[in-house]
Amino acid sequence: MSIYLRNVIRFILLVLIQVLLLNKIPLRWWSNPGGLPPYTPYIYPLFILLLPLSTPIPFLLIASFTMGITIDAFMDTGGIHAAACVLMAFLRTNVLTLLLPKRISEYQNMSPNTKSMGWTPFMTYAAILLALHHVVFYVIEIWSFHSIGYMLMKVFISLLTSLVFVALYSLFFSSSISTVYYDK
Amino acid sequence: MRNFILLIRRFWNVILFLILEAVSFSMISKSRNMQGMDIVSSSNAVVGYVYKKQNDVVYYFQLKRLNDSLLDENTRLRNQLAQYKADTFRDMIARIPVTVRDTTRRDSSGVTLAPTGAVKVIRYANYRYIPARVINNSISGDRTNYITINRGAADGVRKEMAVVTGNGIVGRINNVSEHLATVVSVLSDRKVSTKLSDGTAGLFTIWNPGSPEYVVTEKVPIYAKVKKGDSVFTTGYSFFPENILIGTVAKVDTMKATNAKNLKVKLSTNFRNLQYVYIVEDKISAERKELEAKNKQN
Repeated sequence: MSIYLRNVIRFILLVLIQVLLLNKIPLRWWSNPGGLPPYTPYIYPLFILLLPLSTPIPFLLIASFTMGITIDAFMDTGGIHAAACVLMAFLRTNVLTLLLPKRISEYQNMSPNTKSMGWTPFMTYAAILLALHHVVFYVIEIWSFHSIGYMLMKVFISLLTSLVFVALYSLFFSSSISTVYYDK
Repeated sequence: MRNFILLIRRFWNVILFLILEAVSFSMISKSRNMQGMDIVSSSNAVVGYVYKKQNDVVYYFQLKRLNDSLLDENTRLRNQLAQYKADTFRDMIARIPVTVRDTTRRDSSGVTLAPTGAVKVIRYANYRYIPARVINNSISGDRTNYITINRGAADGVRKEMAVVTGNGIVGRINNVSEHLATVVSVLSDRKVSTKLSDGTAGLFTIWNPGSPEYVVTEKVPIYAKVKKGDSVFTTGYSFFPENILIGTVAKVDTMKATNAKNLKVKLSTNFRNLQYVYIVEDKISAERKELEAKNKQN
């Protein structure tokens, strides 16, 4: 399957999972035991995490902006997701340079995933960028530092559950995400 | 000039990044003011289609619960009807057939009244209720929560209309498209004009993020007689119809410093489980706004 088609399908799949399944989690009474604030896990940034390493930066930025706007339309958040996504995409290369043993230009036909990087580096990479995304998102969303504990709490629970879903997605779709792209 | 182009090419990524961030932030600020925007919102066609399709599937699994809630509401309305039989004309258009004295026909009673076929409206109702199904719902937002419903401009829904359920308040219409509308729910940073069951009015209720079950009625004067379990209602000053239940008082906090009480109110609407709502069309609201705008001009 072509690398473009694969990513388009992943885009649609992740949007549908996010909107139709994960956004419904806070509505369930069991999702916030003991007075926890309602939170939403976000899996859609995985699209940005899994784009191939050789993606040109302008394309990466525009693709993440599109992803963010799509989620914004579904969740009525204006442009908060887009802002968080674009920042995440901009800093993706820097985080990868820190985590990968070789230079990025040496991984021509790879995308960052559990097989090419290994579980621990991939989850670290996901955790750093998702944490960035969540912090930016909640800071813009709440837009006051009156209750900083509440904000940190929301970032933390949301991040934790997001990472669980990212890991689950990587397990379920391991054969599709850990393919080396030869058909450039 | 050449250097300038080279500079742009060198920092093209950063420039693109800044442009995209600027676009996002301008969209955020646009969505934060009261007007709302129409393209990036769940009342647009594509997003609405996805939510509608999903709701069509999920709908069948909720039918049992929905049945129960409608039955409850029916019972409640019947009880109310029995209690205030004379008062029910207030909220509906009451019509009586127009009759004339028919002189051509006479029977034993002397006078016959024959209907002319026309009807006469004897009393206007202030409100008309439009039922709608909730096709998307959110409670996890920290500033604003939106609900998408399957009624739009074609069904007579306009911006700023109130939305209620059978047993409580829901919010107000924000964006309207042809067949869909989004609602800013009460779980947002907009105040609702409130009165207590002992008659103390002029209060406001606001939602504090963190729980979809509770709202806070602020600055209740210390002399107001209020205890746990009392009901809290809307007033006619707000865009909601008068005397709609907001919820029951769950906790009374007395503030020594400001000499006021804050009431923690348990909402009577269950926002986790919204299925049907009613959009309230206020028939005299246009007239009222026009009149009130005249006051401001003078």
